[in-house]
Amino acid sequence: MSVMIRTENLTKFYGKNRGVIDLNLEVQRGEIFGFLGPNGAGKTTTIRTLLDFIRPTRGSATIFGLDSRRDSLEIRKRTGYMLADLTLYRNMTAAEFLRYFGHLRGGVEWRFVQELAERLESDLSQPIRALSRGNRQKIGLIQALMHRPELLILDEPSSGLDPLIQREFYNMITEARDDGRTALLSSHVLPEVERLCDRVGIIREGRLITVEHVASLKERALRRLEIRFAVPVTEEVFAGLPGVSDLRVENNTLHCTVMGSLDPIIKAAARLPVVDLISHQPSLEEVFMTYYGGGDEHAK
Amino acid sequence: MLSNVFLKTLRDCRRSLPLWGIGMALLALWVIVLYPTIGGIYADYLEDLPPSLAIFMGGVSDIASPEGYLSIEIFSFMVPLLFLVLTIGFGGSTIAREEERGTLDLLLSNPISRWRVVVEKFAAMAVITMLVALFLWLGLAIGATIANVEISFLRMAEATLSGALLGLAFGTLALAVACATGKRGLSIGVAAALGIVSFFLNGFAPLVEVLEPYRKLSPFYYYSGAEPLINGLNLGHAAILLGFTLLLVAVALITFERRDLAV
Repeated sequence: MSVMIRTENLTKFYGKNRGVIDLNLEVQRGEIFGFLGPNGAGKTTTIRTLLDFIRPTRGSATIFGLDSRRDSLEIRKRTGYMLADLTLYRNMTAAEFLRYFGHLRGGVEWRFVQELAERLESDLSQPIRALSRGNRQKIGLIQALMHRPELLILDEPSSGLDPLIQREFYNMITEARDDGRTALLSSHVLPEVERLCDRVGIIREGRLITVEHVASLKERALRRLEIRFAVPVTEEVFAGLPGVSDLRVENNTLHCTVMGSLDPIIKAAARLPVVDLISHQPSLEEVFMTYYGGGDEHAK
Repeated sequence: MLSNVFLKTLRDCRRSLPLWGIGMALLALWVIVLYPTIGGIYADYLEDLPPSLAIFMGGVSDIASPEGYLSIEIFSFMVPLLFLVLTIGFGGSTIAREEERGTLDLLLSNPISRWRVVVEKFAAMAVITMLVALFLWLGLAIGATIANVEISFLRMAEATLSGALLGLAFGTLALAVACATGKRGLSIGVAAALGIVSFFLNGFAPLVEVLEPYRKLSPFYYYSGAEPLINGLNLGHAAILLGFTLLLVAVALITFERRDLAV
């Protein structure tokens, strides 16, 4: 596999304000790489540096092996970009907008644009000012895909979309990957990243905390578990099981946090009459807690 | 009309540009058509004014002539004012508005360099300014023909061109501030303020001794100081306006190329 994006100690400060600090990131060809972190963590800063909208304070970034500053034009030629809250020219129709951007890219195959529009059920004859947010997002995705770029850089592409359109978005991004393209996708929602990405980089307060395969991320994620029993139970029964912490019993119900496999605790619980079992999807915060350690902070 | 930034920018003006053109032409037509009727009265009235005020209002020697009348009535104030409103508004907004609204990121995600965006936007501004100037001149020429005013069409064109060059200089100033800062309000404010200061500097300098040496700092001096309506376009002065403009284009290119774009 070859490296599509590589950042080396990429650091960006806005005056004294932190953007990102010593970011070392590698995105491989053909993968969907999730860039996960809460708002303000530095995801957009990183992406805007890759596209040369802003310049690093320190460090460097290469895309396709090209320098993000010196070779920006070549990089942008081969990249499709879309951002969450995108604004388009309000005085154009969607078709005019796409034609304009197509020309700036040196021409795109219009039939392919129409094909994309049909799949997204996007009416290109509408003036952009009359489009809902979701419909504008669709135009944004079309312009990112229409020149069949090798690399997609998507900054929270589906935030605020209704679930149906979101699913179509996901399909198109996955298809691009299956086509051999690469995608860097930033998000602050874990399920989205779980669903789409092969690997995930977690960024918090400007620093890359970890890069994981989605599978192992889930494995290591903390999971909150509630088991209701038909009989009174004590905490001691479950104490000391591997990966289990924050044990608490209330009204015959056991609450706990489990890291990794649920197997030990399920086996232990199976010896007692179980009425109900609720396993909560690990939230992004809980995933973070895995890397920040300390169940104490978790309780706050 | 959508094949590049230049044409797209012109297209964005397809509603406002005809209004500007027609407005300018009608203004010019109106003023010049009135000359045979009020020119004489007007000259009498002006002769009663204190000489200093007459100098301020254009400083034209022969105020009873069509040239004197036009100088005072529209070329001393209305023409530069309107050109400056047009160009400063355009230059201050064309890139800064895209940046403030958030379309600039998307535009520059295309393989187009920043300097090209600046150059194409500047070119669009230059074309728009010249088109409005053309309409102004057409208004003057048609008016002069209708009202039988004896005045050189060429001289009117030269005076109009001088006004367009002045406008372009200030519009480029606004563009340069916008490119350097990304702030639309600031760039329009700075250019407008400097426009007002240099207008008064040029107007007062002949009257106030301490200002006299600074008159040549005012772009307005190079617009009207050589009385293009009577003497034709002073090439040296036109070159200074144009040079100032090109210098500001360079400032715009360099500052825009180097800075971080706002989100």
